[in-house]
Amino acid sequence: MTSIAKSLSLPVQGMTCASCVSHVEGALKELPGVSNVVVNLGTNKASLSYDPARVTLADMARAIDDVGYSVPTAELTLDVRGMTLRHGERKSNRQGEPCASCVSHVEDALKELDGVTGAVVNLGLNTARVTYVPGVVSVSAMKRAVREVGYEAQERSEGTDALDRERQAREEEIKRQGRNLLIAGVVGLIVMVGTFYDMLGPFQAFVPEWLSYKWVIGLLTTPIVFGPGRQFFTNSWKGLRHGVTDMNLLYATGIGAAYGIAVINTLFPNAGFGGEGATFFESAALLTAFIILGRWLEALTRGRTSEAIRKLMKLQPKIARVIRGGREEEIPADEVEIDDLILVRPGESIPVDGAVTDGYSAVDESMLTGESLPVEKKTGDNVIGGTLNKTGAFKFTATRVGKDTALAQIIKLVEDAQASKAPIQKLADWVAGHFILGVHVLAVVVFLFWFFFGYQMFFDPNSAFILSPYKLGDIGVFGFSLLLSVTVLVISCPCAVGLATPSAMMAGTGKAAEHGVLFKGAEAIENASKLRTIVFDKTGTLTKGEPSVTDVIENPNFQLPNPNEVLRLAAIAEKNSEHPLGEAIVRGAEAHSLSLAEPDSFNSIPGHGVEAQAEGHAVLLGNRKLMRENKVDFSGLMLEAERLEGEGKTVMFVAVDGQPAGLIAVADTLKEHSAEAVKRLHKLGIETAMITGDNRRTAQAIARQVGLDRVLAEVLPQDKAEEVKKLQSSGKKVAMVGDGVNDAPALAQADVGMAIGSGTDVAKETGDVILIKDDIRDVVVALEVAKATMRKVKENLFWAFVYNTLGIPLGAGLFYPFVSLIISPELAGLFMAISSVSVTLNTLLLKGFKPSMRRDDTSRLGTGESVSRLAPVVAGGD
Amino acid sequence: MEHELVEKEVARKSALIYLPVSISAALLFLLAASLAGDYPLVAKIGGAVWVGLLSLIVSMPIVTARVKKQGRQG
Repeated sequence: MTSIAKSLSLPVQGMTCASCVSHVEGALKELPGVSNVVVNLGTNKASLSYDPARVTLADMARAIDDVGYSVPTAELTLDVRGMTLRHGERKSNRQGEPCASCVSHVEDALKELDGVTGAVVNLGLNTARVTYVPGVVSVSAMKRAVREVGYEAQERSEGTDALDRERQAREEEIKRQGRNLLIAGVVGLIVMVGTFYDMLGPFQAFVPEWLSYKWVIGLLTTPIVFGPGRQFFTNSWKGLRHGVTDMNLLYATGIGAAYGIAVINTLFPNAGFGGEGATFFESAALLTAFIILGRWLEALTRGRTSEAIRKLMKLQPKIARVIRGGREEEIPADEVEIDDLILVRPGESIPVDGAVTDGYSAVDESMLTGESLPVEKKTGDNVIGGTLNKTGAFKFTATRVGKDTALAQIIKLVEDAQASKAPIQKLADWVAGHFILGVHVLAVVVFLFWFFFGYQMFFDPNSAFILSPYKLGDIGVFGFSLLLSVTVLVISCPCAVGLATPSAMMAGTGKAAEHGVLFKGAEAIENASKLRTIVFDKTGTLTKGEPSVTDVIENPNFQLPNPNEVLRLAAIAEKNSEHPLGEAIVRGAEAHSLSLAEPDSFNSIPGHGVEAQAEGHAVLLGNRKLMRENKVDFSGLMLEAERLEGEGKTVMFVAVDGQPAGLIAVADTLKEHSAEAVKRLHKLGIETAMITGDNRRTAQAIARQVGLDRVLAEVLPQDKAEEVKKLQSSGKKVAMVGDGVNDAPALAQADVGMAIGSGTDVAKETGDVILIKDDIRDVVVALEVAKATMRKVKENLFWAFVYNTLGIPLGAGLFYPFVSLIISPELAGLFMAISSVSVTLNTLLLKGFKPSMRRDDTSRLGTGESVSRLAPVVAGGD
Repeated sequence: MEHELVEKEVARKSALIYLPVSISAALLFLLAASLAGDYPLVAKIGGAVWVGLLSLIVSMPIVTARVKKQGRQG
């Protein structure tokens, strides 16, 4: 029997570096039935597919635990109602008495849910105690599962959602490391004062002499090493047992060696390890303190890079006001069902996606689309869950609920993107993952060199540690070699390398989402930053995809009572027409606020046009043939007609009372910002092209208006992908921007497929990037965010590698023969901490990034200019 | 349960390889230090322990991972 593989995003606690990523990935990949494992250090999550018939969540949690990390779980109590004997279940009990089988029904229903690791029902208390993995399963899913087996469940206490849990876990980590830092920092400082007692000068009077005794310093260091420093030993041992090494091992070896030698030299000063002059208790103590300082700062700053997703999650409304049976009822938003009628008052958040059925209001959608002006909503308009109702009250029918809402899909897309790995990150992870063993090999080499050659050739008893008055004095060959070997271990930590890419990718995808651009993966960001050519689909992407009136030419020799009379009469004639060109004329007249009476008579002439009686006039509207057959002479307007046709427009001839009254040109018009988007792309040095099935003349007319570099006209839908391939064959990275089903193959073929949010589901599923709004300028936003993100990745990697490239030779004593100075292990620990924090802080600079278009928009808005139209549906559109 | 038994077996088999490797590295160091110069005994022993420990750290994950891989293939 085969079962269907499921996808899971599992939170993992305790990962601090890129090598941790490879260990967790390795542990999960070893499990039978687990595949597609991707672990992200930035989000602290493991994304994977698994076969529930072969492996359970508990197996995965155990495998992660085995290599020194953990899957956080939370507990929750549900009040379960209805656990009494029901009809048909009667054995010896009477109906209504507590039912023992209910226990297993409820427990089994809960345990079957992905993410629930345990469930214990207490029949006496009518409660179910559920242990679950936050973020994998929701409380509403638990309640639903209980309801489906015939009982009612209610959360006993105010529950916390996945977001709260995640924040709680992060805060706990900050607290834990903060506590460790306080102990290690304060006691470490006392150890340092005691160690340098002889150098305190006039301050000696304030420090008791006994603090400088080696055994006292040893006693003070011991709780630091085995208290706050214990985590490094236990984690590295757990990993070693399973054949994996991580950053903890570097720390554990470094701290352990410094402490061990210090203990031997204190208890047995004549053992030959350098004696009392080489008791490195302060090294062990301060090294621990600095490493913990790094972890604490990392925990503080790392959460901030994922602030965008937190902001999105916070938008999810908790409560919905549903009208059932004519009564208003407040229910949790995740319990709203499709077709529920929902009331939203001014200032309230819209709980789910839906269509307005009654009322009028303006809705602030900026949180999802980046659009700064409220959008008006009236009957028939779509509303998006998570957006904010501003002015009026309205009712709407729910069309998408739970995980299907636009907001839920956006969150999922951003989370998936953050969980994915860019090619550059895979390389960095591989380097960092193999680095640890390499560093240990290097530590052996350094030790052997200084033991057998270096000490005899270069050792100077007057040499000292950098930034320390502490002299090395009569340290022996073993102590000196060991010191350099330990320093290499500590200074080589590739934490910064591991953080460089994921932290920037998280910040970048989040920043893009803030501006209405959804990257589906880190690879899309990397590819988007390298784009050289962007190909636009024409209809629906650059143009509106529906014809509109572009020109009205009135015959100067024909006297009409009012301006726009030709358009008005034509619109009256077409008022009852269902032809797209007729509808365009009616819309055109309405746009000019012309009053349109009903035609007295209307007759459609297929293939020619229409004839109608309007306000006492005989109106003929159609092509040349219609005019020829009715003997209306348009020779005076023929030049104009040909000019308009040369621009790719469809020209309609209007005759009133048998006289040529004018021409009306109709065409698929450009979207408001198409030309601006292309202009901005040119500024970025991007080549632009348009692909269309239209004839070359029409296509070139559009291309001229937009300012495109290339036109690929008369391309059949099935050949669009082939055209993209041809462009790629010249070595360029090509993006395709489209909205239709027929664009899907080209979107898939392109290096980056960008789908318009108002487009078809197929296009959105195929695209690597979704532009939430119906604003083509977001292509520029996507490119700018991608470039800024990759710039940050490269900066981070540069600084991380510079640190290791300079740090390792320094730590290995390469410059010692010339300067007689070495780096102490604690200083190496401080450098290591600074490198990780500097990388994270550099990433945080992305928070201030604003796309050029938004900067310009902000200044324009100041002058009252309008912003673009929003797509009716954000994601998963109709 | 079966998973744990497999893990124990892997750990036992791996130890039979990496322990001799590390001890050999330590003994090799001891021999080299004894032949190369006039090092104090404590330095020689300390060095051997450090080299042995680092060799253990290097060989343990490599050997364990390889034994696991062989186990899966076999």
